[in-house]
Amino acid sequence: MKQYRASYFLGQGIKGLWRNGVMSVASITVLMSCLVVMGSFALLILNIDVNLEKLGLMNEIVVFIDETKDDLAVEEIGAKIRALDNIESVEFISKEQALEEEQARFADYPDLYNLVEGDNPLRDSFVITYQDNSKASTLVYQLGQIDGIAKINHRQDLAASIERVKSGISLVLVWFMAILFVVSIFVIINTIKLAVHARRQEITVMRYVGATNWFVILPFIFEGIIIGVLASGLAYLIEWYMYRYVISMMTGSFSFVTILAFEEIALPLGLAFLGIGIVTGIIGSTISTNRYLKA
Amino acid sequence: MIEFRDVKKTYPNGTVALDGVNLKIADGEFVFIVGESGAGKTTLMKLLLREEKVTSGRLIVRVNRTGFPGGQVPSGNTAEIPRVGTKPGVTEYDLSKISNFKVPYYRRELGVVFQDFRLFPNKTVFENVAFAMQVIGESNRVIKRRVPAILNIVNLTEKFNCYPSQLSGGEQQRVALARALANNPQIIIADEPTGNIDPKMSLEIMNLLVKIHKRGKTVIVVTHEKDLVDYFRQRVIKISDGRVVSDGVGGMFG
Ligand SMILES: Nc1ncnc2c1ncn2[C@@H]1O[C@H](COP(=O)(O)OP(=O)(O)O)[C@@H](O)[C@H]1O
Ligand SMILES: [Mg+2]
Repeated sequence: MKQYRASYFLGQGIKGLWRNGVMSVASITVLMSCLVVMGSFALLILNIDVNLEKLGLMNEIVVFIDETKDDLAVEEIGAKIRALDNIESVEFISKEQALEEEQARFADYPDLYNLVEGDNPLRDSFVITYQDNSKASTLVYQLGQIDGIAKINHRQDLAASIERVKSGISLVLVWFMAILFVVSIFVIINTIKLAVHARRQEITVMRYVGATNWFVILPFIFEGIIIGVLASGLAYLIEWYMYRYVISMMTGSFSFVTILAFEEIALPLGLAFLGIGIVTGIIGSTISTNRYLKA
Repeated sequence: MIEFRDVKKTYPNGTVALDGVNLKIADGEFVFIVGESGAGKTTLMKLLLREEKVTSGRLIVRVNRTGFPGGQVPSGNTAEIPRVGTKPGVTEYDLSKISNFKVPYYRRELGVVFQDFRLFPNKTVFENVAFAMQVIGESNRVIKRRVPAILNIVNLTEKFNCYPSQLSGGEQQRVALARALANNPQIIIADEPTGNIDPKMSLEIMNLLVKIHKRGKTVIVVTHEKDLVDYFRQRVIKISDGRVVSDGVGGMFG
């Protein structure tokens, strides 16, 4: 039974990497840097999102009802709000509930609200969450048109500027990724080309004795894959170390900021690195061996 | 059987290397191809290897592994049991039409020897021969069994662990010959196999090629060596300026 063994191609791939060591190290370093930059940006965005959610800044509007309105009127206002576009959920909080919450919040100062017992100074309110942030200003306008809404609380300006920062970061990330990706592939192409060149005599003889294209090319594809795997492994370690360092910096001075534990992101980060690394390696080696596919 | 029908080969730069070549080489024949430098002998070999494509005409190679002339197995006779590494039966390859995808499989039917040996300096004799078998996916078990047997045919059994640099030219060419035989091809092609080695060794290489021919293989040898051609008295095809100018048995050199 004739068989090709993966270990043969893997062995040839490792040999090839070893033979042009400097270029191999260069490829791995460039790809690794690319992954670290990408990973850092991605983690930054992830953490911004988590904090925004926690702050409840995003996609939330609180409207307070004019205290002169009776229960029936309040119910009507609620129905009008629910009928608007872009509404995710509407929660009614009565002034009694609000008072209880406030008292709980300021448990250390029982006098603060006890003073006004029997005469609740708070208003009924609706907590509205909406779907589309870009249409928030329309919603705020529509809410303002409803009779009986005394006050609208929306951190629209802050939410918008954070949104802008986020999309700015994403844009930079996309460009960085594109550039570094191209550079990585370019360096890998040259590394594999050197490997092919070093083995050109061997390839000629392989062809004469009847090697198929795949047999000729697979060692180089494996070489690309090994570059990808090594680069992603190193990038992962660096990211891990850096992230831990940042966490230790932040816990002292920025304790109000939530930071995801590394364990929470370890698996997706590792898989993304590995996937991108391997795909880059395969693309690079495929391009540089392309002409050998033509027999 | 190998058949050239009105074959013409023009290189991209316009050089007409072969023109109007008609040739038939039967199964199990031994053929010398002679001619001046630049006559088109190597081009003929390259067409056979499908390293180059014919420009016009047809080139057909019928590989016969039955052990009977023309692949006609007499009734009541069971065909020779194929040796390891071969397929039974007859396969026809039309090299004027063959797809790139099939070329590697066609080349496995041939054994090739070059003037400059083309051995791997960093592989031992054993590894050089084994390489041809690894390339086509032969298992290690088969490789370990067959390589010593082939090295025995070319009288290099004791040198299996040497590197090419430790061998004489004649010995290196015998390793190349062993590699050509590794996958038990029916057709052996040698382009000036003795061009780089001294006369005494040359005779030895030719003797080996004849020995292989006697085992039923088709052997085609391009050579410059008049003495050897005269000595062996085999079919001689002379090419001049891209055309076959003579074809017959015995000392027809020059
Ligand atoms: N790759 C090539 N491109 C262009 N011309 C070639 C090429 N190979 C051989 N030739 C020309 O074709 C002719 C035949 O060459 P070749 O077959 O090598 O002759 P021989 O082997 O008999 O010396 C010569 O004129 C040679 O210069
Ligand atoms: Mg020649």
